[in-house]
Amino acid sequence: MLTPAVSVIAVFIFVPMALTIWLSFHEWSTQTGFGAARYVGLRNYEDLFGPISVGRDFQRAFLNTANYTALSVLIILPLSVLFGLMVHQRRVAGGHVLRAILFSTYMVPMIAVALVWSKLYSPTEGPINQVLSWIGIGPQPWLSSPDTALFSIVILNVWQQIGYFTVLVIAGLTQISPSLYEAARIDGANRIQEFFGVTLPLLRRTLLFSAVIAVINAVQVFEPVALITQGGPANATNVLTFHIRRVGIERAQGGLGSAMAVMLMLSLIVIIALLFATARQKEER
Amino acid sequence: MIGRSILRGPRPGEAGAFLLVVIIAVAVIAAFPLFWMVLSSLKTPAESMQTPPVWFPSTPNLDAFSEVAEVIDARRSFLNSFIIATTTTAGILITSLMAGYAFAKYRFGGRDWLFALVIATMFLPPIVTLIPLYRLVTSMGFNASLVGVIVPHLANAFGIFLMRQFIAGVPDDLIDAARVDGASELRIVLSVVAPAVAPALAALALFAFVYHWNTYLWPLTVLQGNTDGYPIVLSLGRLLSYNRGAMNTGLVMAGATLAVLPPLVLFVFLQRFFVDSIVGAGVKG
Repeated sequence: MLTPAVSVIAVFIFVPMALTIWLSFHEWSTQTGFGAARYVGLRNYEDLFGPISVGRDFQRAFLNTANYTALSVLIILPLSVLFGLMVHQRRVAGGHVLRAILFSTYMVPMIAVALVWSKLYSPTEGPINQVLSWIGIGPQPWLSSPDTALFSIVILNVWQQIGYFTVLVIAGLTQISPSLYEAARIDGANRIQEFFGVTLPLLRRTLLFSAVIAVINAVQVFEPVALITQGGPANATNVLTFHIRRVGIERAQGGLGSAMAVMLMLSLIVIIALLFATARQKEER
Repeated sequence: MIGRSILRGPRPGEAGAFLLVVIIAVAVIAAFPLFWMVLSSLKTPAESMQTPPVWFPSTPNLDAFSEVAEVIDARRSFLNSFIIATTTTAGILITSLMAGYAFAKYRFGGRDWLFALVIATMFLPPIVTLIPLYRLVTSMGFNASLVGVIVPHLANAFGIFLMRQFIAGVPDDLIDAARVDGASELRIVLSVVAPAVAPALAALALFAFVYHWNTYLWPLTVLQGNTDGYPIVLSLGRLLSYNRGAMNTGLVMAGATLAVLPPLVLFVFLQRFFVDSIVGAGVKG
């Protein structure tokens, strides 16, 4: 019963995972067999943290990915709670329509998202700067300036994914017993106290799960960078998934790329462990 | 009126109206990129290049769509996408059903340990294993072919997890009765377990289909520029480099519209399944 699933996962995930770690200690061209790998100890890692251009590019890509991930999570979590409450409320109609519209963007292939937004962002022919000019805001450079390019990609990513996280929050909200709100109201709580005293604490597990998924999704950003910005301008959007593929596949520096992949994986483990630890600490209080 | 608001706060009606306005605003902003995509695909090249942008095409036409079909082999790309998405989905359904059954209903040494190991792969971004996986699939002779795109994804942790959650709820009596009747284990999975978890299977099928219709990084890497094997999302990328700049806006938007349609149509008709399965997996997990 387990054989088909476990053998696929073993051959195409476990084995490559072990190989990634093994290769990170080797110098190896991706164009050759694994047997051609030459052991170099920690040299790949030393290069990544060294002052040479290999190291500088990696460190920049790492920093870009960290910024991108932090921004994504910090925007997605509050927005998903806000939208979740708007869909969940029964005071006015329209919640279900909103949910359908938000979730439909999650079905759109990232490549189409990237293409459409690259046209929306266009400084002269794009509608975003046009709409901004109506309310007195001058033209923004969006993807064409190093200062705004990464954030512009965060926005299009949030647009694509927010529906999924909103649905997660709605699922969390339906689990909260209405009697808790009644009790809060009897104690004289207003809506804001209700939100911080009942809703938010009981959404903690949902938000922990959302945060973990949002982090994992954020480090995978690839299509907008590969297609629209190619990591630029001035390396501002060079993120790890793009950089690792460029080094490890296109430049065939398999050992170096693998060392970068290991660093990414270790960072993810640390971040996810920290998220769980913070959530647990709050729960104990 | 004003005095009343200050004394008692806004009446419920006013707060409701405000909420409704916010909901409509969010819905309009969320829907705008797709709306713009369709509008732009119907414009003439001259209209696409105007500054400030024109919103509505004066003579809506489908020229851009026929140009897409000429520039990329659209029929072939769609067929490739369809082959990749359906065969991968079929594989995932079978392997997830079998493994989910084993993890839910069998007792064997190391079961929980193996399950945890499989689930851990859900949190592994594909880039971490991309480099050795590329080499592995190449050395198997599957590179630059649809087989190479499909085979590594015939099983995944999310499917196994979802199936185990739902199969755990299938009564043991039902399975034992079939065993007494002399049914083989595979027979039980297909004719007893599968019908009992049909809604979850449908949801998994939808998710897998949309995911593998949309996925970009792996096909791009493994197909190595063999455009005959390109699914529509990869061919879309080629549209952008064809005739760079504002000139190609209509073309790119028409291509994006075509690529978005299949997953979006699936979603419109089967929205409930998508949402229910996210909620179900979360609540049961």
